[in-house]
Amino acid sequence: MITVALAKGALLKDSVTSFANAGLDFTAVLDPDNRQLMVPSKCGRARALLVRNGDVPVYVAYGQAQLGVVGYDVLREHQMPVAQLIDLGFGGCRMAVAVKESSGYKRAADLPPHCRVASKFTHCAREFFDDLDLPVELVHLTGSVELGPMTGVAEAIVDLVATGRTLRENGLVAIEELFQSTARLVGHPLSLRLDRGELRTVLEDFRLQEKNSVEL
Amino acid sequence: MALQPAAGARDLNPQQVEKNHSLSKKLAEVYKKWGYDEVSPPRVERLATLMAGGAIESKEIVHLVADEPLGLRPEMTASIARAACTRLSERPRPLRLWATGTVFESKQADEGGIRIEEKLKSGVELFGVKEVSAEMELLSLLLKSLEALEINQENKPQILIGHTEIMDLILKPLSNKERIQVKRLLIEYDHLSLERLNIKQDILDTILNFIQLRGLPNQIIQTLKQEFGKSTVLNNLERVFNHIEPLAQANGISLQLDPSFQPHFNLYNGLVFQLVCEGKSSPIVLASGGRYDQLVERCGGDISNSYGVGFSFSIDDIRELLPERNVSNQYPQKLLIAFDQNNSLEKALLRQTSCHLKGEKAIVELEPCKNENEATQLIALRGCTDLIWIGN
Repeated sequence: MITVALAKGALLKDSVTSFANAGLDFTAVLDPDNRQLMVPSKCGRARALLVRNGDVPVYVAYGQAQLGVVGYDVLREHQMPVAQLIDLGFGGCRMAVAVKESSGYKRAADLPPHCRVASKFTHCAREFFDDLDLPVELVHLTGSVELGPMTGVAEAIVDLVATGRTLRENGLVAIEELFQSTARLVGHPLSLRLDRGELRTVLEDFRLQEKNSVEL
Repeated sequence: MALQPAAGARDLNPQQVEKNHSLSKKLAEVYKKWGYDEVSPPRVERLATLMAGGAIESKEIVHLVADEPLGLRPEMTASIARAACTRLSERPRPLRLWATGTVFESKQADEGGIRIEEKLKSGVELFGVKEVSAEMELLSLLLKSLEALEINQENKPQILIGHTEIMDLILKPLSNKERIQVKRLLIEYDHLSLERLNIKQDILDTILNFIQLRGLPNQIIQTLKQEFGKSTVLNNLERVFNHIEPLAQANGISLQLDPSFQPHFNLYNGLVFQLVCEGKSSPIVLASGGRYDQLVERCGGDISNSYGVGFSFSIDDIRELLPERNVSNQYPQKLLIAFDQNNSLEKALLRQTSCHLKGEKAIVELEPCKNENEATQLIALRGCTDLIWIGN
C-alpha cells in the first residue's frame, strides 16, 4: 500500500486535489469533522498521513511514507535525504530578507556585521549570509518573526513572503530574495528504486497533470 | 533521573545479545567454509586510514581526544584494507578475510548535538583479484550467507546492483563539471533538479530515461547494449548475472540492475550492491558492498595488485527483521537447583557442576528455600523449566 505524507495547513487542499487527479482520492481529510490522522484513499490503494509541514520530509526520508507534498522552503531548511520529483506549482511564496522600512538598508550586504537576524528558517539564513561572507547572529523565533525588527530583538528577518501584506502592515520591507518556493512532490529514494510499478503509475498521472497545466 | 546510556549507543538485553551471537556464528561458518580467515581490526584508527577511501566525511567519525588525529571506526573495510596492504602484504593473493565487530557513526541529532550510532557488522573482504571472478565469488557468498540466515521470500529480499562504469557511460557526453552534478542528482533520485539542468535537450532526455531504467538484470543489460554498444563492463555483468540468477531464484531473492544506483559513498569503483528487505513499515538495508580498488591503493597497496571487493551485513537490522524462530535455542531446558536449610550451597554448586558436565544448563538458588513447594514457585520467576530439589 502506498503511504503519502500530507502537510496540514495551506497546502492541504491543493495537495488533495493533485492526488485526486492522479487517482488517489483523499478528500475525506478535508472534512472539517475529520479527526483521523491516517486516512485511507477511496480506492483503498493508499493512505494519507496528516502531519505538520516540517514533518513531511521526515516521514518520507525514513521511508514510512513513500510520497509526500511539502514546500521547497521546508526542504531547504531541513535538508533531509528525499527525492524531489515534481514541482506542483501551488503554494507559491518567496524566502526574503526584510528590514524596517525606516532602516535605510537597501540590500542584505548593507547590514552591519554581527547584527542580529531573526528567523524560523535559521539553516536557510545561515547558508545565505555565509555565501555573502557577512557574519550575523541568528536568533531563532518560532512565529510572528516580524516583531523582531519592531521590538529591536533583531536588525532584520529572514522569512517567507507571499503577498507582502504582513510586512507592509508592520512597517517592514523585503530587500533581498533568497529563493522562490512552491509545493513539491517528494519521494523516498530507496522505495522509488524498489517500486514494482505502483508508485510509477501515480507519478505518471502527476506528470500528465503537469503537462496538461503547462499546455493550458 | 537514573543514569542513561549515551544517545544511539547500543544497550542490548540478553535475548538480543544471544540472537546477535547466533546470527554472527551462522555467517562465520559460511565465511570459513569459503576459505576466509578471521581478522579483528582495531576499533580505534588514525583518521587518515578511516578517510582513505574518500567515502567517509570527518563529521561522520567519532573523534577521540589524543595527541594524534584518531577516531572510532565507522566501518571496517578501511582497517582491513590497511592490514592487507601492510602486515599481510606478503600473504599470497587472493587474500580472503572476514571480521565481525561494532562500528560507530557520528550523526547530527534532530534536537542538536551529536548522536553516536553503534552497530554490529559482519562481513568479508577479498583482496588481489582484478577480474570479474572476484564479484562472482562475492555475490555467490552473499547468497549462501542469506541462505544460512534463513532470509527468504517472506522477507521479500532484493539485491539492488549498480556499476560505477555504467554510470560513467551515462555521464560520458557531459563536461567534467556537469558530470559531478548529474551523478549526484541521479544518485539522489532528484528528478526535478535534473529536469531543470541547463544541458542539451537530447542528452537531458537520455539521462531522464536512465533514472527510470531498472529491472531484471539481463533485460537491462540488453537495453544498455543497444544504447552504448558492446563493452567489457556489460559483458562482465552478463557473466555475473548468468551465474547468480539461478542461485538467487532458488532462494526467492530477486535481483535488480539499476544503472543510476550507487550508495552515496565514493568508496566503490566497480560493482556496487545493497541487499534490501521489506521491514514492518519501510525498506531495510541489511547488507551492502562492492569493489573498492582505489581504497586499497590509497592504503599503500602495490599498484599492480590493488584490488578489493567486500560486503558487510548489519546484524542488528537482521535481528530486528527476523522472527524468533530463526534463533536456535542451544539449551531448551534450564534447571533450577534449590536446597533447604538442612543442606548447603556447596552441595548445590557441586550438583550444578555435574549438570554442566552432562551438557545441561543449570543455575543455583543461592539462598536456602523453606520447602520444595517454595522452590517450585521460583522456577518460572528464575526463567527455568525444571527443578532439582536438594532436601530431606
